[in-house]
Amino acid sequence: MARRYDSRTTIFSPEGRLYQIEYAMEAISHAGTVLGILAKDGVVLAAEKKVTGKLLDLSGAKEGGYGGSGEKIFLLNSNVIGGVAGITADANSLVNYARTAAQRHLFSYNEDIPVEQLAQRLCNLKQGYTQFGGLRPFGVSILYAGFDPHYQFQLYHSDPSGNYSGWKATCIGANNGTAQSLLKQDYKDEITVEEAVGLAMKVMSKTMDSTTLGSEKLEFATLTLDATTGEPKAKIYRPAEVDALLEKHGLRKKDEDTEMKS
Amino acid sequence: MSRSYDRALTVFSPDGHLFQVEYALEAVRKGTCAVGVRGKDVVVLGVEKKSVLQLQDPRTVRKVAMLDDHICLAFAGLTADGRVLIDKARIECQSHRLTVEDPVSVEYITRHIAGIQQRYTQSGGVRPFGISTLIVGFDPQDSKPRLYQTEPSGIYSAWKANAIGRSSKTVREFLEKNHKDDMGRDETIKLTIKSLLEVVQTGAKNIDISVMEGYNKVTNLDLSQIEALVAEIEREKEQDAERKRSRLAATAASEAAMSAGASAP
Amino acid sequence: MECSFGLVGKGYTLIASDTNSARSIVKMKNDEDKIKVLTPHLCMAYSGEAGDTVQFAEYVERNLRLHQIRHYTELRPPSSAAWIRRVLADSLRSRKPYQVNLLLGGYDTSDDTPHLYWIDYLGTMAKVPFAAHGYGAYFALSTLDRYHDPTADLEQGLETLKRCIEEVQKRLIVGLPKWNVKIIDQDGVRELEI
Repeated sequence: MARRYDSRTTIFSPEGRLYQIEYAMEAISHAGTVLGILAKDGVVLAAEKKVTGKLLDLSGAKEGGYGGSGEKIFLLNSNVIGGVAGITADANSLVNYARTAAQRHLFSYNEDIPVEQLAQRLCNLKQGYTQFGGLRPFGVSILYAGFDPHYQFQLYHSDPSGNYSGWKATCIGANNGTAQSLLKQDYKDEITVEEAVGLAMKVMSKTMDSTTLGSEKLEFATLTLDATTGEPKAKIYRPAEVDALLEKHGLRKKDEDTEMKS
Repeated sequence: MSRSYDRALTVFSPDGHLFQVEYALEAVRKGTCAVGVRGKDVVVLGVEKKSVLQLQDPRTVRKVAMLDDHICLAFAGLTADGRVLIDKARIECQSHRLTVEDPVSVEYITRHIAGIQQRYTQSGGVRPFGISTLIVGFDPQDSKPRLYQTEPSGIYSAWKANAIGRSSKTVREFLEKNHKDDMGRDETIKLTIKSLLEVVQTGAKNIDISVMEGYNKVTNLDLSQIEALVAEIEREKEQDAERKRSRLAATAASEAAMSAGASAP
Repeated sequence: MECSFGLVGKGYTLIASDTNSARSIVKMKNDEDKIKVLTPHLCMAYSGEAGDTVQFAEYVERNLRLHQIRHYTELRPPSSAAWIRRVLADSLRSRKPYQVNLLLGGYDTSDDTPHLYWIDYLGTMAKVPFAAHGYGAYFALSTLDRYHDPTADLEQGLETLKRCIEEVQKRLIVGLPKWNVKIIDQDGVRELEI
């Protein structure tokens, strides 16, 4: 019975490990990279899209699909954006839960949910899925980029076990080791959003193992304060804007084949 | 084993073991070490904390949690389990105040936490909590410090000093050797740090110390204070070793002299 | 015949309440503290049905304390007010509603502003520069209209508050001799002598 402790629901193995959680984390390490950088005047998220294809209809995603740019980055509340890595179906249900939780907070307290509280809500759900019978853990890690009056701009990371922690810059998904060390090298404490966007672009272009780099592979978002109202403002980039941004940083790589055809 | 999931996951094995509970204890043994030491009118919690990574926000790394104004808790094991259990305990603390007006006693909240942990070893379809806890504090209108421990099985017990988590056996043995009744504040803090240093090789930056000195009085030592204490302990250790060395040298010399004297004639 | 006042000045909120505890026409005691300190920067003057008031105040107090311990931050005054209003609104639609009227005074440390909310048992809420509950409202609101200044320092604020109390003591048929006054500013909640 070698598979006695890793085949069914989440229970302790003789060494005190929870294999299901470890396997869920394994699933995430194959998923598209998501990267977050906290700047002094905003937060930046960038994500690598895995589902691509010449016939994929992206016209729905243009206006935001699930309120985001399609697959990886979502608006969770007016003051929080989330980047997900892992099993997309699980992620969709977590995004839905997060949005409900945020609205419920708004209903009770008439304020935007503080970022850490939102992360904590989701983590409590995730933890429950590792402890109660018949359930498997969520195969999703999430980066939360947000703003609240308590701690200003913040970046959190949560994993399938239900742990979370705050970061200045971090990365989840495939190749996150490379990205982490690149971030460690180049991150400065007083970084601005402008510079953070550049850094995110640079790190993504180095970690994504694909020959092309364009809006069909990349999602991008920033959260800053609106200059006139002082309220947090999320901007999830449209495909054309992503391309323009890549162009600006001189990182756009085109597929030779498409070039030939066009 | 084709039982459905709505049955208890923790069941007796033929030889009378509750394996899931024992395995949960293994998870605790993998967790970071936490130490609680009781002095005369002070109680100290010391925890080993993993190094905060360069880009991590240290504010969100919390190993010691306040349950109410007069009670603190440290845990070893699965962090997410710890957070959920702490949340339940905090609710009970306020709910208790609301129903009977008085704050909880340390034993009451310990029993409550242990009760929750026990339920998770017996009810349908859940695994036990993978954490042990150390609970310290003061009862209302009382100056005697308290220290309790709970385990995944739901056992709870009162202690003068104890440790949980990684290498807790080594630390406990150290405490058994060195703990004295009625220690003062500084002595208690020092013993806590000393015992943690048995397993934490990296020194002050991986140690967190919370001191409770009475009802509603909790202080966390900052890094420089801990560093100073660690340096002091190191110095004492060195002096001890030095003394031992010189004593050894002295005996060796006198022995040599004696044997020289014996062989002279 | 209960009566409470609140007003906002420059960097502080003042809350005052009489200290009578009465049943029918009988005064039971005159040193009842009817202002509950909810969090380090928030307090609440309550009046209404005798049993309900204390029950409700304690319920709110414990819930806000739980919030603070859980999330390591105080709930801000606007959010606290919204939550308290919600509890009253839900209660109104239950079998036995709380009959409690509130003045909620607080200081928001995240943007350094004083706050005052007027809330009644029907779940009505208004953010106001000054407020009164009970019969005192009939006498004091005009005084406050005339003398309240949101940029006044503490001394002037207290002066205005005293005018209101004196007006009540002069005109109201029932004497309210003793008053309990609390100030909320960036340093927290303190009791004041007037």
